[in-house]
Amino acid sequence: MPILNRKQRVSDEIPTASMADIAFLLLVFFLTTTVFNEEKGLPIVLPEEKEEQEVSPKNILFLIIQPDGSVVVRRGESEQEQIVGYRQVEGILRQELAANENLIAAIKTDPTAPYRHMINVLDEVKKAGAERISLQMVGE
Amino acid sequence: MAVKAGGFKRRSGTSSDIPSSSMADIAFLLLIFFMVTTVFRREKKRDIDWVSAEATRKIDEKRKNILHLWIDTDSQVWINDQAIADQDIAQIIRPLYAENREIVIAIRGDRDVPYSKINTITKQLQAAGAVRVTFATRMEQRMTRPRR
Repeated sequence: MPILNRKQRVSDEIPTASMADIAFLLLVFFLTTTVFNEEKGLPIVLPEEKEEQEVSPKNILFLIIQPDGSVVVRRGESEQEQIVGYRQVEGILRQELAANENLIAAIKTDPTAPYRHMINVLDEVKKAGAERISLQMVGE
Repeated sequence: MAVKAGGFKRRSGTSSDIPSSSMADIAFLLLIFFMVTTVFRREKKRDIDWVSAEATRKIDEKRKNILHLWIDTDSQVWINDQAIADQDIAQIIRPLYAENREIVIAIRGDRDVPYSKINTITKQLQAAGAVRVTFATRMEQRMTRPRR
């Protein structure tokens, strides 16, 4: 009997004071492991394979990216070429789009040109608000 | 009707302690928030020099619909932490696309990768039918942009 009595002294309540500690511990764990969605970029939809369209040359504006990053602008119907820095592409494209809203911006990149030059030009094209973009490679 | 000095006294009836009993509730609330928003990293980050663009925008797509395709400084392609040969990309992507038609391929390429590489990859993606592509970029601030 005395043995049983001794047990009565232990509290039968769950200790609520440490609850906050447990919660904060878990909280810190999740705080440190959380990675928020940081998906950012320039979205583009590629054409389906073997889905080639015949486009009137007057609706195409070629932006030919050279290995050094300069851009050759060529209107589809004329042979006349203009060499510009990529910063000027937005302005040129805005003008062209105002004149012809069906214009397709054909970004034609040299195979040896670094990726960043192509992104710089794609950035300008996106900023100009062009909806119809075609990605090509020189020599294909 | 001037307020008597006792006007302040009345307040002292309130306890000045921070209620510690609600602490657990606050902590659990935050805990649940972070538990719900946490997504554990699935793949290793590759060490690449990002390209930046001013037109960068957030991709509103569920995480499970986004597949990262890394192209590192050595022009090696990585998908889900596996090195992939160029001609095998379509084979790898095709079953993933069949499983999930909503898939968006986020191309995370190093800034100095030659364009021929990107062209090969986009051709492979077209062959696999995955035509929704994002060129992952960092937001560009013109002022801090280094001269090329």
